[in-house]
Amino acid sequence: MSNAAVILSAQGLRKDYLSGDRRIAVLRGVDLEVKAGESVSIRGESGSGKSTLLHLFSGLDAPDAGVVTWAGTPAQPERRALFLGMVFQSFYLIPELDALQNVLMAGRMLGRVGEPERARAASMLAKVGLAERAEHLPSQLSGGERQRVAVARALMNRPQLLLADEPTGNLDEQTGDAVIELLLDLCRETQTALVLVTHNAAHAAKTGRQLFLHEGVLR
Amino acid sequence: MPWYLYLAFKQLFPTGRRFPFFTFMSGLGVAVGVMLLVVSTSVMGGFSYEIRRMIVDTQGEIQVVAAGTIDNADEIIARISKVPGVVAATPYAQGTVMLEYRRRPVFPLIQGVDLSRVNRVIPFNRYMLAGSLDNLDDDSVILSSQLAASLGAMVGSKVDIFSPLLLEKSNGDEIQLPRTVRIAGIFEIGHQQLDRSVVIASIRLMQELYGLKDSVHGINVRLAPGADEFKTAAALNAVLPDDRRALTWFESNADFQHIIRFEKYMVAFLLMFIVVVAALSIMSSLLISVVRKTREIGLLGALGGNPRQIAACFCAQGLFLGLAGTAVGLLLAWLMLTFRDQIVQVLARLTVGEEVFRQFYLFAKLPSHTVGSDLVFIIIGAIISSTLAGLVPAWRASRLKPVEALRNE
Repeated sequence: MSNAAVILSAQGLRKDYLSGDRRIAVLRGVDLEVKAGESVSIRGESGSGKSTLLHLFSGLDAPDAGVVTWAGTPAQPERRALFLGMVFQSFYLIPELDALQNVLMAGRMLGRVGEPERARAASMLAKVGLAERAEHLPSQLSGGERQRVAVARALMNRPQLLLADEPTGNLDEQTGDAVIELLLDLCRETQTALVLVTHNAAHAAKTGRQLFLHEGVLR
Repeated sequence: MPWYLYLAFKQLFPTGRRFPFFTFMSGLGVAVGVMLLVVSTSVMGGFSYEIRRMIVDTQGEIQVVAAGTIDNADEIIARISKVPGVVAATPYAQGTVMLEYRRRPVFPLIQGVDLSRVNRVIPFNRYMLAGSLDNLDDDSVILSSQLAASLGAMVGSKVDIFSPLLLEKSNGDEIQLPRTVRIAGIFEIGHQQLDRSVVIASIRLMQELYGLKDSVHGINVRLAPGADEFKTAAALNAVLPDDRRALTWFESNADFQHIIRFEKYMVAFLLMFIVVVAALSIMSSLLISVVRKTREIGLLGALGGNPRQIAACFCAQGLFLGLAGTAVGLLLAWLMLTFRDQIVQVLARLTVGEEVFRQFYLFAKLPSHTVGSDLVFIIIGAIISSTLAGLVPAWRASRLKPVEALRNE
């Protein structure tokens, strides 16, 4: 692992929020490096800035100071669809599309919807154990199944980095455990770097490195 | 297909849903607007078209008129017949008389026609219900259908005609007897006003009744198919004496035509607001959709979509609704126009009754004439307004920051 390429690098990340007239420093200089195939968990109290940190890693938000690089080059929104996948607490599946089309949506974003992509989407659904549910709409799936579809979608484009923001937050304990096992297995299998934000100590313990965000700094 | 168009289509026609209610209701507004616009402009256009047809059928495309009477009709006809585009010309004289049958007087318009030439300009035989123009002579007349019906007169009946000249002579204590003539035929043009009060006579009888000697009131001119009536009228004016003037059918009835045209545009203008309301309804539905789908919009940003693509997704929904609504509206308009007479009959039966309805409207049947340029204007207007309606929600969606959208709970 020590010789693996650095996939995500964050240096000196600072982020402030305005609350009325007050400026609140949420992140006060976060440094992190994640290598290919590595899994890192970030825990912290509610409101500690875990989701904000993930948004900075994903390039969805810009830091007030500091730099985020993806595989050695600065994070750019136009590379996002290819470079990283994201899993959210609330699944965020598109309700009008069935499970297969939701997974394929990640390919569509890159203009890739040919037969190989359809096969890839189907195989991703099979890997998360939902081959039989490919034509089901999100409303016809359970919470755990929806999150598994979201995992398949996140890995559809073979990203180098997977960012998971409390992916088990809306699931019961047993289903949450299964989803975390699935995430870790798939990332291990595909050598995808994983950053997992979670409240759950047991889930965090399953990752290769456990970090804690406290008072705007990662420890 | 780019993802934003695919998603726009899927949001309108979601997978697994047989009846997309939102899409149906949004498109229905546009469809109704387009249908009403097409039907109203077609019917108004139909009135205009039918009136033109009737005017041209009963007086030719051009009339040569004079301030008083025309004394040298044959010489003028010979002169205008040489103008390119002119196929035939026939003189006429017209005025009002009192016609009496079984002591029941009416005051119709009487038109005297040259029996040897009139058929080449006015296709009377096409409108004959009974009798024939061939039976018309200097001792007979042809009555319009409703006039004959109101008098209870039939072919072969005899009627008395009192002309203004007769009344003028009666004032001088001279006893004047009315001219008694036979009814040689009954015609029906299909225009309530004409069918109610027109009498056709020979021009000699009319000249006798009005004391015109050999003079006439004007000359009806028939043009070759496709000949430009305005250019031909200008060419005729160039060869006519200064006190004679060639007027096209449109100029002869300019006020009426302008009123019909104005009414058509007013109706179209008013009905255009239905399309505007439909577009506002699309805008409102899409705005609700943007609010409802805030987190999805954030997700699209997280998946790699840029603001322009997200805007295109909502704008395309307005365009799709406009296209679909317009297509359905055109189909409904075609159905309504095809079955317009049946629809009018049902409406008339349910309200005032068919007879009353016929009595008060100019035509026995509802006319329709769809003009291509009107259709193009309606289609483009409906599609553009629906697309513009999608722009506001699209703009709002594109301004949503993915991070804030994803935080939205």
